[in-house]
Amino acid sequence: MTRLSGGLIDRATPLNFTFDGKAYPGFQGDTVASALLANDVRLMGRSFKYHRPRGVIAAGSEEPNALIALGRGAWREPNTRATVAELFDGLEAMSQNRIGSLKFDLLAVNDLAAPFFAAGFYYKTFMWPKAFWERLYEPLIRRAAGLGRLSMLPDPDAYDKGFLHCDLLIVGGGPSGLAAALTAARAGARVILADEDFRLGGRLLAETHGLNDAPAQDWIAALEAEFASLPNLRVLRRTTVFGAFDHGIYGAVERVSDHLATPGQAVRQTLWRISAKRTVLAAGATERHIPFANNDRPGIMLAGALRAYANRWAACPGTRVAIFANSDDGHRTALDLLAKGVEVVGVIDPRPEAKPLGAYPVFAGAVVTGSKGRLGLRAIEISRGGQNQWIACDVLGVSGGWNPNVHLAAHHRGRPVWSDDLHSFVPPQDLPFGMRVSGAAQGVFSTQGALQTGAEMAAAALADLGLSAKLAGLPRAEDAAVSLYPLWHVAGKARAWVDFQNDVTVKDIALAHQENMRPVEHLKRWTTLGMATDQGKTANVTAIAVMAELSGKVIAETGTTIFRPPYTGVALGALGGGDTGTHFRPRRLTPTHAWAQGQGAVFVEVGPWMRAQYFPRAGETGWRQSVDREVLATRAGVGLCDVTSLGKIDVQGADAGAFLDRIYANAMASLKVGMVRYGLMLREDGQAFDDGTCARLGADHYVVTTTTAQAGPVYRHMEFARQCLWPELDVQLISTTDAWAQISVAGPKARRLLERVVDGFDLSNEAFPFMACATLTVCNGLRARLFRISFSGELAYEIAVPARFGAALMARMLERGADLGATPYGTEALGVLRIEKGHAAGNELNGQTTAQMLGMGKMVSVKKDSIGAVMSRREGLRADARVMVGLMPAEAGAPLLAGMHLFAEGAAQVTQNDQGWVTSACYSPHLKSPIALAFLERGSERMGEVLIGANPLQGQNARLCVVSPHFVDPEGERVRD
Amino acid sequence: MTDLMPMTALGADTARYVQFGCLSLRENDGLALASLALRAGFAVPAPMGLVLPGVGGWVAHQGLAAFWTGPGQWMIEAEGRAQDDFATEMRAAAPGCLVTEQTDGFVCFEMTSNAGAMPLLRLLEKLVNVDLAVFITGRVTRTSFDHMPVFVIRRADGQLAVLGMRSAAGSLWHALETAAARVGVKGGMAGC
Repeated sequence: MTRLSGGLIDRATPLNFTFDGKAYPGFQGDTVASALLANDVRLMGRSFKYHRPRGVIAAGSEEPNALIALGRGAWREPNTRATVAELFDGLEAMSQNRIGSLKFDLLAVNDLAAPFFAAGFYYKTFMWPKAFWERLYEPLIRRAAGLGRLSMLPDPDAYDKGFLHCDLLIVGGGPSGLAAALTAARAGARVILADEDFRLGGRLLAETHGLNDAPAQDWIAALEAEFASLPNLRVLRRTTVFGAFDHGIYGAVERVSDHLATPGQAVRQTLWRISAKRTVLAAGATERHIPFANNDRPGIMLAGALRAYANRWAACPGTRVAIFANSDDGHRTALDLLAKGVEVVGVIDPRPEAKPLGAYPVFAGAVVTGSKGRLGLRAIEISRGGQNQWIACDVLGVSGGWNPNVHLAAHHRGRPVWSDDLHSFVPPQDLPFGMRVSGAAQGVFSTQGALQTGAEMAAAALADLGLSAKLAGLPRAEDAAVSLYPLWHVAGKARAWVDFQNDVTVKDIALAHQENMRPVEHLKRWTTLGMATDQGKTANVTAIAVMAELSGKVIAETGTTIFRPPYTGVALGALGGGDTGTHFRPRRLTPTHAWAQGQGAVFVEVGPWMRAQYFPRAGETGWRQSVDREVLATRAGVGLCDVTSLGKIDVQGADAGAFLDRIYANAMASLKVGMVRYGLMLREDGQAFDDGTCARLGADHYVVTTTTAQAGPVYRHMEFARQCLWPELDVQLISTTDAWAQISVAGPKARRLLERVVDGFDLSNEAFPFMACATLTVCNGLRARLFRISFSGELAYEIAVPARFGAALMARMLERGADLGATPYGTEALGVLRIEKGHAAGNELNGQTTAQMLGMGKMVSVKKDSIGAVMSRREGLRADARVMVGLMPAEAGAPLLAGMHLFAEGAAQVTQNDQGWVTSACYSPHLKSPIALAFLERGSERMGEVLIGANPLQGQNARLCVVSPHFVDPEGERVRD
Repeated sequence: MTDLMPMTALGADTARYVQFGCLSLRENDGLALASLALRAGFAVPAPMGLVLPGVGGWVAHQGLAAFWTGPGQWMIEAEGRAQDDFATEMRAAAPGCLVTEQTDGFVCFEMTSNAGAMPLLRLLEKLVNVDLAVFITGRVTRTSFDHMPVFVIRRADGQLAVLGMRSAAGSLWHALETAAARVGVKGGMAGC
């Protein structure tokens, strides 16, 4: 076991976990990666394409190799980076992307066939035979694609969401972020400090150089104590700021309980939307590797990561360590490992002048040219002055320099800028509004520089906001200059990996270059470089440099790809942020919902509403029986239906009539007080928009009703017209849809029933004729509104009371009307009643029909202007000869379905011969036959004609007879009874 | 007085109440509401002694309260008067204004903390996108919560009201209850 001394793990809290079923010990403060390394486990996964054995190479969220599945059953989370998975007692981890065991993966055969799997092979390989694509190639590719497997079970975890606001958001809790937070919080600004790690400190946790000659931990501890006393500072640990969005809004995911053994009822993750007036990006930097032949063996890792495992987690994956580095940064790793008692066999440094900084050999002017070890590193080959030699070692730390983490700085499409001095891309000039970048993310790599720039950027950000900040007193820290010898890869014949996760090598980049895939965007897509779950954090810059070398350009000319959110993967559950079942979306319930439930109603979704569809009774074995009964009871006696979901808009003001004249195609200003008029609204383009009634309750008070589906859009449309088109009109609108429970009372005995609930109101035909309306009281003094309108074609009313009394009124009317046959009916019966009467509804008002098609062409007044009126008269609409007709089967038993298209008998069923379509169909218990409404070319001239109703999807053809759309009471006498 | 029995927005005889640690959630079934809008050219009135607030404001006065809902528009609240014809009274008290009954247009849920403002702030940040630094007592915002339009009123340091569509009361209650349970019971940051 290679657990070293020291570290920031809590040795008093031992933990147990399993990897591929085998038990291992660890400590509080470990990650899965550090605990496995401390247990001498170097092999943690298999690569994507070649199934090469892979071990961890990084110590943070940039890790490309050590992807594991955590948890079991529905909790299994594939593609988790072992480097950021906090260890807890009982954690279960499994390796992935293998057939067989991790050590003996059958798919490792792919590696032998590597010459056939070069970049872009799939664009060329699966061309022939053509028939194989769908049946063989695609299924095979889909099976091979991806790394981990989903559990295929519903996500059992709860996710939360929230909103935060601050003056300054600091992204990153390393030295620069901490200095920024201290400066800004002491100045009294509202500050949020977010870091993806579970400990503050960033790179300070991985280094041994002190602050003020004391361990950095002492400074961090003091800082954390001060932070806890500052109510204006909020520290979000385990929180990844994954995207910079518009208007200073940042997306962040807080891993609330991923590190806990028992998920229980706790929220797993919280999605925060952070509105920040200013931002300091202190996201640090990511170390890059140097591709050389077979540089992907377990045991070969980034030198900085090796140092982090040793210093923070007291773990080292081997006993004989070599370092391959092109700057002094790699030498630090050698020094720290030596201090921990680990044997350092040498530092291979391409700089000819390189000198050892401690008691270890240096191979100056040398490079690593190869490695050995099937499942883990056993030796490396080095080349110096044309001489090659093998050195036995089980760990190799590689350091090719550091890349500033510019991702968030470039989320608004800014392109990072190449720095010849730093040999790195630094943040773009055109940063997201309000953002400043500090520390290593800015290209300032020393600790002193990070601290200083963090404080300065925070002070500058606050100055923008008119807040004055004193630079925090910062500790003394190392301030070494970067001296880097640019080395992007070691040339050789064998494969040298650039993108570990997607198995992209230097050869692949050369092939892309050869195939003329030279723009970086083409290189990326051709080779899939940077397209894996790690998004190429350790690969992209190296690949650009290799491409630059191949094309003879400088890196600055070669360009970069676009950075897009998320910085690291975000669970869809977190983005969804809430319920997945019944409460996935809001549900609107009618005032009689609870009552209808008590009656055993079956409900149907109508947009957001749940409406009673029908009310089954004992002995009824199918929905049709219930619906037929409800329809017949309504036509024979009286039926009651909750129609609250229809939109209601209160329109008041001196100009209310003039306003409605412009909104409706027909006139409303001329409507008498106490009367209702059917109204049709058009869209600006002249098509029918919505229909409904408009009641005039007072000289300057109207109530507009809309269809259920268009309640929102009509209200929005009217508000737009009021606020933007005609602000000069004295008119006010407000929705009252929910305020009033509205119940349709329909049938020949409707009046007799209502007489039993109204308080002395004269309902006679003379006093309250068809299309009358009034305010009144019912049931001993309850305020109500009554409208004599009919959707069923029967004598009918709609009565409205405050919503809280809706259920009680429904129950009262059914009780009082028992002897009249009072029957509740649902939306199915409502539909049958209106089709029998020939009333248009949503199926006919589908956004593609006109007033003329609906038989309402004359309603579009020519005496006034209104929205859509002029456009409705344009030739294209005026010439449309399709009109609404009724249809019945020519022979009994013929199918009649909504959606059928109409053709002349004998005509080929092609678009050119299409005569129209069936919009609504039902079984009419009144006619004892299926009936339908349809739009038909010259329909009004074709009564009695027989057509073919075609349902090509199911191979149905039916002979249908064209009839009047008014199947019931075509003279309209019943409504006036 | 009508002999019909009213039903709460949540479909029960009595208003719902639940407590999670220091946080309580209560259906305020007695609140009467009337919208009030100015006619063109009329001055802002002071109906029943209420000084109507400016943009984003809420004021309370002797059992009544008013909050701003839009330019020249307010909602008037009358505690415990849901079954009265409050809109008619308001119409008389605000000549020159356009008044619409809204009592059952909304459901009102009151959320109270008995441990000071902090638990409520922790709850608020999980509910709606408001800047807590400026959303102090006497402020109201019209916003979206769980895909539902709502008014959120900061009635006091430790009291919030959420007014949403009455028809969506069940969904609104569920979302508020879920959030309150997480903040109130776990309470790590809330200090319940």
